[in-house]
Amino acid sequence: MKQLKDYSEDIYKCTKCGLCQSVCPVFEVTGLETAVSRGKFTLLNGILTGKIKFSKNISKYLDLCLGCKACFDFCPSGINAEEIIIAARNLNFNLNGISFLKKLIITNFDSKLNLNLLKFALSIYKNSELIKLTDLIANKIHFLKQYVYVFNSQVREHIQYKKLLPSKPQSKQKIVYFPGCINNYINQSVKNSVKMVLEKNGFEVLIPDFSCCGMPARSAGDFNTFKKQAEKNLALIDDDTDFILTDCASCGSVWEYYTDILDGDLKEKAQKILPKAVNINKFLAGIDLDIPKNVKLDLNVTYHDPCHLKRFQNVYIEPREILKKIPGINLTEMKDADKCCGASGTFCIVNPDISRKISRRKAENILAAKADAVATGCPSCKIGLAQGLVQTDADKPIYQPVELLAKLYLIE
Amino acid sequence: MKSLITNLRSILGTDNVLTAYEDRYCYAYDATALGDKLYLPDIVVLPSSKEQVGEILKLANESNVPVIARGAGTNLAGSCIPVNGGIIVHLSRMNQILEIDKNNLLCRVQPGIAVENLQQEVEEAGLYFPPDPSNMKVSTVGGSIAQSSGGPRCFKYGTTKDYVLGLEVVLADGSIINTGGKTVKNVTGYNLTQLFVGSEGTLGIVTEATLKLIPKPETKKVLLAYFDSIDNAANAVTGIISAKIMPATLELMDKYTMETIEKFYPTGLRTDMEASLVIEVDGLKESVEIQAGQIEDICKGFNACDIRVSRDQKESDDIWFARRSAFGAVAKLGPNVITEDAVVPRDKIPEMVREIRRISEKYNITACIMGHAGDGNIHPNFSLDLRNKEEVERFEKAVDELFDAALKLGGTLSGEHGIGMTKSKYLKDALDERSIELMKSLKQVFDPKGILNPGKIF
Repeated sequence: MKQLKDYSEDIYKCTKCGLCQSVCPVFEVTGLETAVSRGKFTLLNGILTGKIKFSKNISKYLDLCLGCKACFDFCPSGINAEEIIIAARNLNFNLNGISFLKKLIITNFDSKLNLNLLKFALSIYKNSELIKLTDLIANKIHFLKQYVYVFNSQVREHIQYKKLLPSKPQSKQKIVYFPGCINNYINQSVKNSVKMVLEKNGFEVLIPDFSCCGMPARSAGDFNTFKKQAEKNLALIDDDTDFILTDCASCGSVWEYYTDILDGDLKEKAQKILPKAVNINKFLAGIDLDIPKNVKLDLNVTYHDPCHLKRFQNVYIEPREILKKIPGINLTEMKDADKCCGASGTFCIVNPDISRKISRRKAENILAAKADAVATGCPSCKIGLAQGLVQTDADKPIYQPVELLAKLYLIE
Repeated sequence: MKSLITNLRSILGTDNVLTAYEDRYCYAYDATALGDKLYLPDIVVLPSSKEQVGEILKLANESNVPVIARGAGTNLAGSCIPVNGGIIVHLSRMNQILEIDKNNLLCRVQPGIAVENLQQEVEEAGLYFPPDPSNMKVSTVGGSIAQSSGGPRCFKYGTTKDYVLGLEVVLADGSIINTGGKTVKNVTGYNLTQLFVGSEGTLGIVTEATLKLIPKPETKKVLLAYFDSIDNAANAVTGIISAKIMPATLELMDKYTMETIEKFYPTGLRTDMEASLVIEVDGLKESVEIQAGQIEDICKGFNACDIRVSRDQKESDDIWFARRSAFGAVAKLGPNVITEDAVVPRDKIPEMVREIRRISEKYNITACIMGHAGDGNIHPNFSLDLRNKEEVERFEKAVDELFDAALKLGGTLSGEHGIGMTKSKYLKDALDERSIELMKSLKQVFDPKGILNPGKIF
């Protein structure tokens, strides 16, 4: 994995043209030079040339990055701010350690025991009257609503699993599904849908007992934890696997970085696996997808591009193609569909006020598109979308395209 | 300084007064390549109203502390650099469009709005704000007024100065004045509005601007013409203008610019050619067709070897993509890029280009020559490494000679970037002594204590 010093020439190359200001969602709501890549590069250049110390303030500013990569598309000098900021957070991790909050999150994602306890507690909550009770309380007590609405929208499940008979001949391909922590432990709706859609289309799905993909640890600069998680996950994938499918945009982006963090044989394995790790939308767009003709969904949908899907995996046409294939769905594009939703993993916990402001702008664009529902390609974006929508007092369901497909299959 | 900070915090709120070293470190630069020198401000403030700007200036004036207004920090002459420290007034939070008035063809805006955002909004109303500085995605209206910015389209439509009808300005002592107004015609006393335009924040801080708009042209067409020599390209420019055709843009790229673009952003430019012109015509559909045909004929008359004419929006965008990629391409060529802004009478373009070539060869500096040929505004983009002291010395000598050449050809120091701190040493060569004295006296009247953006222009 590259260290900050390995990027010193890239950092120096910043011409300070300031174009990153036009696309940075954090700059849009803060107006601060320290929020934007140009400011961060200046500070990092100062650190690398020994002019300033890596202070607490600098680590605070490094946290003011969503990692959305919007500025990379835009940078005349082609500087990859996301990678550089992660390398800087790693240096910060080694020098100053990590904040309590981030440590708590990473440790919990790394512990299957804790995750299973969470899953158990949530299943009681979801399947009892409790969730209805909190809904009710939130509607009465206004200041609680923003938290309860976001929480309940994350756990409430659209799709329950049902074994569907394949409508296509059984495929011989070996398909592994990597659900990710949110789909495994917090909300099984997408996982259910992926299984159902694949089974219906003639694919058998293997779901090994994967660990956290490691994106939270990588993002916090904790490369040791990231490496361990990468090793554990790779060990669970057989060489004869044809595809590793992900629906979580973040879990889908991680495979490229496994090739950086690992050494020796494992690195080689990661390189071999990389082209096989494919987003579910891309996979489904490439097969002869079963579309029942006798049913339809009647829904106006707008699609939000997750940063980790569009800018990290170049997948943005395929989810729209799938939505358009579903009878009755009318897809309306919103303004700035590929602008970050504001959640960005731990960002929404570390910088809640800024995160909410960014989410609110996203929600305003959703409302302007006059859609009944929002579709997106990442369970994490659901947090940003929900915390934006609640601020505008709008209540719109949030789906992944694969959930809408499963819904269609269920009513067939 | 401590009591000043306390007072500023009580006016603006603690969050909007930045004093940490790391914060100030991020306001010590703009887009000007300054090398190693560090000019730290003492305080950065983010006001959200004219009243707050007024209070800030009142306090600063009483305490004799410099004040530097900052928009997006994209200027190339060092105009936002706090050379003597002081307070940076970052206007990023004052970025609203206050009014778009279709009946009077004008708009009122706050200074922090990005030029492109304003353009998009007015174009939705069928109107047009022509000034198009190359960084317009971020560069602000306030900054454009301070530097009197231009852009390619300014050949036909004029620069920012031609669109400012009125201003609300906070003066050095914190008092607020309104100049001009909502009328296009206005000869009521001295034209203070135009005095502030291009004054680089040395006379006051603009907190609101009333801007003239025009109807949006119905359609446009882009031509890309290649020539076997710079002379022929330049003669074609003169040919077009003398035929009484006014294209919106007449952009020139030399061979090395095209080669550099092709190296990093391949778009199929013909690198076997010596020069090319990007010509955009706009207006009513019928007239655009006629003008494009006339321009094609004129270019052929000057030995244009190959002419591409856009047939749709995509082809137009492709041609412009190539031209707009030029800066990025030069930025990839070496660690630093410096864009100069000399301007000469338009018939002197071939001579100026030859001079730039000669000078860059003499001092062994990489130069990509591009610019707005229609108005004689040439932007050589120099690629260099500012960490290389010896190269910097050669570069400085080259720039001295460059401006000398521009002045000898009857041109001047800046077309659209301003003087700032980087070109102030040449001012005496470009203006007569009495003019400079008068300017200094004006500065004295507006800002007796010299707190507004010291160290700039003069």
